[in-house]
Amino acid sequence: MIYDTLKARLNLNAVLRNLEELPDLDPETAAMIKAWDISIRFRVLRGISARLQFKDGRCTYEENAKEASDVVLFFLSHKHLNGMFDEKAPPIPLKGFKRLGFLKDEFSRVTKRLEYFLKPTPELLEEPEYVRVNTALTLSTAVHAARELVLLDPVAKQVGRQTPSGLLQIQVLPDGPNAWMQYDGKGGIVSGRGKNGTPAATLTFRDRGVACALFNGKLDDFGAVALGDVKLRGLVPIIDNTNLILDRIPAYLQ
Amino acid sequence: MKTYTYENSTAWFKRAVKVIPCGIYGHFSPAPCVPVDAYPFFSEQARGARFWDVDGNEFIDYMCAYGPMVLGYGHPAVDEAYLKQRAESDANSIASPRMVELAEMLVDMIPTADWAFFARNGADVTNMAVMVARSATGRKKIVTVKGGYHGTAPWMQAPGHHGVMEDDHQHVIRIPWNDLKALEAVIAEHGKDIAGLIATPYHHPVFADNELPAEGYWQQVTDMLHKNGSIVIVDDVRAGFRLHLGGSCERYGFRPDLIAFSKAIANGYALSALVGVDALRVNASKVFHTGSFWFCAGSFAAAMACLKELQRLDGPNLMRELGRKLTDGIVSCAASHGYTMKVSGELSMPYLRIANDDNMMLQQAWCGECTRRGAFFTSHHNWFLSTAHTEEDINRTLDICDEAFKAMKEGLGAQ
Repeated sequence: MIYDTLKARLNLNAVLRNLEELPDLDPETAAMIKAWDISIRFRVLRGISARLQFKDGRCTYEENAKEASDVVLFFLSHKHLNGMFDEKAPPIPLKGFKRLGFLKDEFSRVTKRLEYFLKPTPELLEEPEYVRVNTALTLSTAVHAARELVLLDPVAKQVGRQTPSGLLQIQVLPDGPNAWMQYDGKGGIVSGRGKNGTPAATLTFRDRGVACALFNGKLDDFGAVALGDVKLRGLVPIIDNTNLILDRIPAYLQ
Repeated sequence: MKTYTYENSTAWFKRAVKVIPCGIYGHFSPAPCVPVDAYPFFSEQARGARFWDVDGNEFIDYMCAYGPMVLGYGHPAVDEAYLKQRAESDANSIASPRMVELAEMLVDMIPTADWAFFARNGADVTNMAVMVARSATGRKKIVTVKGGYHGTAPWMQAPGHHGVMEDDHQHVIRIPWNDLKALEAVIAEHGKDIAGLIATPYHHPVFADNELPAEGYWQQVTDMLHKNGSIVIVDDVRAGFRLHLGGSCERYGFRPDLIAFSKAIANGYALSALVGVDALRVNASKVFHTGSFWFCAGSFAAAMACLKELQRLDGPNLMRELGRKLTDGIVSCAASHGYTMKVSGELSMPYLRIANDDNMMLQQAWCGECTRRGAFFTSHHNWFLSTAHTEEDINRTLDICDEAFKAMKEGLGAQ
């Protein structure tokens, strides 16, 4: 039960949410959504909901959305929603029947594009342009996933409660991507992209290549720290605990 | 003042990380040493209160191998005792009389001790202590202090660490340090299930100020637990023989049931000991706990020589006074540069923190600058004094501290 709920929250609030950022990172996606004017709501019976709004070449993502949408995709359970992400179960369209073709074709192409950037192959990780997009999206996924994990994952919940309050700033040199996580000291996290205030701890990657390799499990993190490729400063327990929380992601998302 | 660079350390680390997980793991990992480029990773030699890294840089060592070095590296009396015993017999198929002699010595020195049990590392005996408590009481639950450390056995690791299962923590209850009400509440809720409490004699977590026991704290803890039929275990692995030769409980005026020692017991030779009260002797004899190297006699001989030397020198008081000189000097030096240095814990193993920020970044920068100049300080862990540190070492250290504050101000601006 908790597994399905958390997986659904991760699928929407950490993974699908990346559609906000993707057009800024990937010209191909930007071209695809350029003329779209549509809102799509995902709604689980007695569960999570979210809304994507495409307009003027941009995408915005809203959690717990209740606002009317052009298309409403309904799911009987969180497991059902996860089934859609795993391409094993179709949604139930409640509204926007005329846009089903759009969903199957255009929207599906954009989500495939997102999947392409989030599921690297060794060959793709050799391409600098791919690395640029993958690093940004993986970082965003991570900081948003952490927030969900400390809410519901039993292990992450305990780790979150042990984490001191303070802002963790994650930065990739020389020019990003950057992201932040604000711990409240009681087990809660607020997170976002970019920079935010005075950090209690900083985690700095020498460059995108190092960040990408680490995010994709290709680098010994302790080794990278010792060699100066990854630099820690400030309240290191915040960084240690963040790692433990993020290490829970594979239990839900492959 | 010359600042150090670490080309050879880095080269060794690059080799290490190819064949050893993390390169260097555990508490020797460079990861918490911030900034990492201020620190050496590999040492070539050590003598007295100093070590030399693989780049030939010389350091006055305030980490003392994270505690084991208490008389100075390569102490002649201890090394002689070890080498003599090793020449006669170290590993063997039967036990050595040195084990008996050391047990007798501990029973004489330590008021709590009516018997002694030996192993190699601190965790061996903290685990033994918990097993004895469970065996003696027939109860499951162990109370401990949040942020405390008693080794890396799964039950003692913080939840969420890799390889640790939720079930490993099922019978561990964590309460805040110095919080008698929390202990009272735990006893009220779980009283009949509580086998014992394990805690360090004072609270010395990492990345945080250390805290001494409040007046009467330990006496009340022991009273409450004994009244409940539970066992009191002091984990004296880190502080043992630096605060008091009768066990740190003597410094704070209480008597536990079991005390776990290691680190300083043999000045760097691998040994740990669990000592206990007579009432637990039979229970200790029933618990099966052993290891391949636990009977190697060289360490027993080294421990006896080490403890005799600590007695001769009045080691705890000597280290306390050295610690006082060091910390007073640093506090004064910091103030002259506009910084407030907070000293916490015990002076023979103090924790220092620049109090001008709340995120440790100043502290990390300053410890790094000191280390680059030859005073080996970490920012996350308490330091250690040894009897080998001299006033000259401390004066030299204070010069380094002064330079480090200047360098830090130049680098970061006055705070």
